[in-house]
Amino acid sequence: MNDTLDAAGAGADPAPAIHLRGIDKRFGAIVACDKVELRLQRGRIHGILGENGAGKSTLMKIVIGLVTPDGGEVHIDGARQFIRDPLDAARHGIGMVHQHFSLVEALTVWENVILGEGGSLDRKAARQRVMDISEHYGLGVDPDARVADLPAGVRQRVEIIKCLRRDPDIIIFDEPTSVLTPAESEQLFAVLRTAVRDENKAVALISHKLDEVLHSTDEITIMRAGSVVAHLETSEATAAGLARAMVGREVSLRSEAAALGLVEEIEALAEHHTDESSDAVPALSMADVVVRGSDGSMALDGLTLEVPAGTIVGVAGVEGNGQAALTEVLSSLRPIAEGTIEVAGKPVVTGRAGAMARAGVAVIPADRHDSGCVLDMTVAENLFLIDIERVANMGFYEQAGINRKAQELIDEFEIQTSGPGAPFFTLSGGNQQRVVLARELSADPHVLLADQPTHGLDVGAIEYISDRLRKVADDGVGVLLISSELEELLHLADNIVVLYRGRIVGQMARDEVDLERLGMLMGGATEVGAR
Amino acid sequence: MASEESEAEMTASSTPAGGRAVMYSKAREAGVVAGLYIGSVALALIMSAALVAVTGGSWREVFSALLDGSLRAPGRWGDTLGVAVPLIFVGVGTVIGGRAGLINIGQEGQLTFGAAVAMYAGLNLFGPGPFALVAMLLIGLAAGAFWAGIAGVLLYWRRVPEVLTTLLLVTVAAQVVGFGLQRPWILLAPIEGRSSRNIVSEQLDPSRRIGRIELFGNEFPISVFFALAFVIVVAVVLGRTVWGFKLRMLGRSARTAQRAGVSEWRYGMAGLLLSGGFAGLAGSVMVAGGDFGNFRLVPGFAVNIGFDGLLVALVARQRPLLVVPLALVFAGLRTGSGFLAATGVEREITQIVQSLLVLALLVPPAILFIRERRRALAAMTART
Repeated sequence: MNDTLDAAGAGADPAPAIHLRGIDKRFGAIVACDKVELRLQRGRIHGILGENGAGKSTLMKIVIGLVTPDGGEVHIDGARQFIRDPLDAARHGIGMVHQHFSLVEALTVWENVILGEGGSLDRKAARQRVMDISEHYGLGVDPDARVADLPAGVRQRVEIIKCLRRDPDIIIFDEPTSVLTPAESEQLFAVLRTAVRDENKAVALISHKLDEVLHSTDEITIMRAGSVVAHLETSEATAAGLARAMVGREVSLRSEAAALGLVEEIEALAEHHTDESSDAVPALSMADVVVRGSDGSMALDGLTLEVPAGTIVGVAGVEGNGQAALTEVLSSLRPIAEGTIEVAGKPVVTGRAGAMARAGVAVIPADRHDSGCVLDMTVAENLFLIDIERVANMGFYEQAGINRKAQELIDEFEIQTSGPGAPFFTLSGGNQQRVVLARELSADPHVLLADQPTHGLDVGAIEYISDRLRKVADDGVGVLLISSELEELLHLADNIVVLYRGRIVGQMARDEVDLERLGMLMGGATEVGAR
Repeated sequence: MASEESEAEMTASSTPAGGRAVMYSKAREAGVVAGLYIGSVALALIMSAALVAVTGGSWREVFSALLDGSLRAPGRWGDTLGVAVPLIFVGVGTVIGGRAGLINIGQEGQLTFGAAVAMYAGLNLFGPGPFALVAMLLIGLAAGAFWAGIAGVLLYWRRVPEVLTTLLLVTVAAQVVGFGLQRPWILLAPIEGRSSRNIVSEQLDPSRRIGRIELFGNEFPISVFFALAFVIVVAVVLGRTVWGFKLRMLGRSARTAQRAGVSEWRYGMAGLLLSGGFAGLAGSVMVAGGDFGNFRLVPGFAVNIGFDGLLVALVARQRPLLVVPLALVFAGLRTGSGFLAATGVEREITQIVQSLLVLALLVPPAILFIRERRRALAAMTART
């Protein structure tokens, strides 16, 4: 149908679709982009790799007009352009698929796709357009489906259709696979390939996963701390080399490999270290737990789960399948409607302030700002939020006293701060997470629930947190690790359970993990089977 | 042993440097705050002076009258102290509620209701004077707490915002007290003691009034000392106790508090009851103190002391010790205005002058609040 691939590929390098020259951008004291050079060529997928905070998202926001650069030039097809806003970018043929969904759940697919367009509403034409795009790229999206009923993978495809409806020449994908099952992300990249090959589009793929970039791109640019540190053809790249360039030093530790998404290497490294005694009382046991959402939907639907002391149980699953409810229940933020929860053999009342913490359930919440800390209080105060009584005397405490005791934890957990009296919000994300970890672990828990404990942290912090989790389990604590990153689970967990629509649909020991089966379970195995 | 020492050394060597940096930034912060207030008050004074001068008055006379009325004229600073007492109670109560994250803006109503119930108790209780006085003050406190408690139950049972309920209950309190004042079997004085159209209560028995002291020709109620003692107690409870810590945690992050074992029902309710209770106590000391009316309850008895006390707390920005000087300033504005009429400047103009001065005190806290928010937000977004 199309021979443009050869034409484009063989032709002498024409002006790149986008050429960024010497882009600078600062946010206060933080340098997000420092003299960045980048070329997006037509007919190629260009991976932009970097740790969280390396500046890759900022760079793409500059291209799309969401951020104005402090210096440098943007050239489109050889001509210098000033992109004022996303509409302006759209006029230049640039479209972006954002990391976070911007869909209205109550509306149907076609309604979401045309949302934001001016003029009169032409239902028939809009539906047709969705169907055309869907068919053309093999996306398989029903224009009349309500977004609320769609799984994350399909929603991602709706976002892509939203982007493609303007027929952009240049498409930017910002971490598109963070909410997808492995099978779904594979499918997504197949679609991307088609678009690039058949229509000579330029695609930028932002990611922090080595695996993904290695498998789906033509060339790779690596950013670190706001600068481009390497640019190479994907065919010449190796995982180890990319990791080294991304982190700035040799990567050897398993936890780092996990952070960077090197599944194969983890599997090779996987080893046994479980010596559980099966007849002991489990640290945490949840039986037939039901939690209803405020709208009557089932957030947890008969969840049964056991975490033996001294092991890490990983909860795999696509976001939005009950992880939030599970964390809220174990944080005493939500009562359960049915079922029982026992910690170290003793039943615990749910929904009562502090009951779970008192029973010995430590929690690292997915969003620590939501229920894991108080931003306006000091570092020391945050270290004693759940057990201030420990450092008090007859109901009285002294600031100096808790600062002194906090200093011990600050040293032990290597928290970088100007002092125990510093406001918590002045800490970096990684150090905030260490404060949460230090507080929760110093309370001598039976159970540690870690919900996405490494999300958004840099590699150093990820490594630290992972090692701590392992150590905690070795000390006899039952660890429940919720993660949407399979690599993290494969690396840390002794046992993996799959959470789908509020219940556990499958379970496997780490050494018998079958990635394909895991992926199918995450996507709702029955659905996959029917397809 | 050796390792302990080296650790102690480490902390010892790391804290002074950190401490110095913290002290330096604190000093700078204090400078910024002082500068803001000085600038803002100066601006208000200049605008006021210009306004008075343009409308044909003498600004010197106006400011001089304000100072005379609040401090310089014989007996005036005693009056200012007397007015400051209920402002301190209301202000410190509001600070407690604020620590719990509650926005109680109905002190005027809690004060009115507290004053009326205290008056009823003072008129009907048996027993020797001092005991009856203490009892009536405590009953007034309980009544104020009850009035705030209505809003508390609605908030924690049905999630009705306390900003709305506390404010709306001000009107209800005025109506309820007005009703009581028109019924002889509740509060209305017998016909012999008043002209037939007057709606007033009986006068409080002299044995049940708060004692007054005279000092350098100034007279003020001894409740001044109690007010100061309360402020110190509240400051200690909020800043040094586990209870105060938990209250603050609840105010700053309700979900973190719930997870950590601070029940919204228990701590939030306590914060609201205390803040209403202090307003009720303010009303009681007004009734029994003699600086407001003649020991009789009349409609509109609260004369905006509840709202002024709220302003005191707003300016104090949740710091209980700051309530005292600020209550004195607001009391001074009140007593000072008594002398303004004598300057011949029109009342509308002098009222604008007073409002400008109040605004001058309210603007800096607002700016500081916004600045703090921005800083915290910037720190958060820059880090993620």
